[in-house]
Amino acid sequence: MSARPDRSVTTTALWWARVRAEGPLRVPPATEAGAGLTRLLEPDGSAVWLLAVPPEAAGGGALAELGLSGPLVEQPNDTARLLAAVVRCCWTDPHASPWPGSPAGWGCVLAVFRAYADRDEAAFTRAATAAVRRLHGSGWVLWDERARRVRFGPRVAAWSPADLTVLREMCRQMPEPTADRGDA
Amino acid sequence: MSTSTVRLAGPPGDRQPPGPAVGPDADLTLDGIAAQTGTLRIFRQVFAVLARELGAMITDLDHLDADEAVLAAFAEAGTEGLTLEQVVAACRPLGVVGGRFDSRLVARRFEVLRAYGAITKVVDRPHERYHRAAFAPYVMLLFLRRMAEQGGQGELHQLLTLEGIGVRNTRATTDDARASLRRLVTVFRLMANQLAGLASASPVEELRENAELLWGNRSLIGQARDVHAVVLERWPDLDRECTTLRTALAAYGDASDAAAARLIEQAGATRALGLLPVEAWRTFARTADAGTLAGVLDGIVLDAPAPWFSPQTLTSALDSAQPAAPTRTPPPRPVSDAGRVADGPAADGPAADDADELRRLVDRLLADRADLPVLDLLDDVDDWPAGRRLLARLTAVHHHPDVPAELVWADGLRIDVDAPVPWASHGVLRRTDGPA
Repeated sequence: MSARPDRSVTTTALWWARVRAEGPLRVPPATEAGAGLTRLLEPDGSAVWLLAVPPEAAGGGALAELGLSGPLVEQPNDTARLLAAVVRCCWTDPHASPWPGSPAGWGCVLAVFRAYADRDEAAFTRAATAAVRRLHGSGWVLWDERARRVRFGPRVAAWSPADLTVLREMCRQMPEPTADRGDA
Repeated sequence: MSTSTVRLAGPPGDRQPPGPAVGPDADLTLDGIAAQTGTLRIFRQVFAVLARELGAMITDLDHLDADEAVLAAFAEAGTEGLTLEQVVAACRPLGVVGGRFDSRLVARRFEVLRAYGAITKVVDRPHERYHRAAFAPYVMLLFLRRMAEQGGQGELHQLLTLEGIGVRNTRATTDDARASLRRLVTVFRLMANQLAGLASASPVEELRENAELLWGNRSLIGQARDVHAVVLERWPDLDRECTTLRTALAAYGDASDAAAARLIEQAGATRALGLLPVEAWRTFARTADAGTLAGVLDGIVLDAPAPWFSPQTLTSALDSAQPAAPTRTPPPRPVSDAGRVADGPAADGPAADDADELRRLVDRLLADRADLPVLDLLDDVDDWPAGRRLLARLTAVHHHPDVPAELVWADGLRIDVDAPVPWASHGVLRRTDGPA
């Protein structure tokens, strides 16, 4: 309520508002962003993703612990399975942080996803495409539809080290991704 | 009886057309107009029956078509004019199927058109048979059709524009302005009455059907206000009439607000946004591009989609997935069951059936003998578990249908604390198919 708002605070608040309204932001590397935003460098250094990572106690998991419903996802199970498949395919070095990961072919992801969602071909393709679009829209996965390649979205950097342990175990149990067949 | 009523209706001067017939000193309050429209409605009801029987009232579009055909026949005929018979003959080919324009209908409409002057005699004398048509009725027909299709809203706008031009005209007199105001007052009063009645008392479906009365009410009121402002500026002494117009406009505004509120309230329950016809919504949704549709949300900031996928979510989703066919391993099955189902020679892995093994066991134990006491067999074993195993196998031999041997138990019990199997029943193992 001060008459003369602190300029830096205002900038930070604006950046946080932008990130909240637009999801993870892709900005030039030299952009001076507000405080508290996680900066994720693109592998080729051409851009930086700004991601709001709340502390553990206030993160996405907190809602579940409190028994509150978070943002709703359509087809939550299929979407989660596809994300798991992407994790299996893109997280090639399980000892490193998931971001940036390595790109994987869409066919490879589909092959892993098929182990958990085996249906007739049309329904399978539809489920996979819908799931990857949802994940792309929310920044979990970056999906290049034309090149048929998938890689991690910036939001995976929000997983905590404890989460990563669970994910490593999960990856170990999942089927081996086949060699990238490009367009299987 | 009908003739007397017709005579009552006969002199045109008796009837009061709704609009211009409001006399200079007529009561322009809501009650006055309500009473007037009430009277008119009763008259209309009385005459409608008679007129419909005579085919003199337009009850469906066929009549309009017939009128148009008659006027079109006159247009073709040129300056000579036509007789009634010629008109009927000319109209017949136009009524294509089923004789829609039967000659009686055409003749009736001809009489009606002549009665209100749309068709006049070429020379005004008795027994003149040739007639010609005026152009104004045809324009009126077009007008009626548009009214039927679009609800008259466009005409109302045109009327307001014309009134606006009229009162701005430099040669307009006070009387012109007063007449203009009166027409507007009547129009808006009638609309307000109809709307108010619909909004307060009618079923909502009827209100929805008449929703065109609501369309563009703001611009209508705005246009009327313009006329009002011009008149008040030029002829300040017409302030009484202007006040009447203002109240009429306010009444119309209130009525449309009430009607719109009722429609919106109803739409809230049924999701039927009845202010526009359904087709208009569908067409809009189909033809609008993404930008137009997204324009609805302009100025609204929404959170980006940010679902949180915890590793636990992923794991439980994977666990709940039905495993796909390639990775599915068959559950372990009891061996004897599998053998009974007879997988056949294709069955791989350990032998599903132990018949051969049991048969070998029988051969080894019995050798050439036909039978063998169980006690002898039990005395050969080293300890109790071995004896128990042996008994189990003998029992299996007994129950296997393909092994030709059985156990026959007898009475008596042998008890020997030093034997590996201290308690044992008497019994023999014997072949069922004779000596091998």
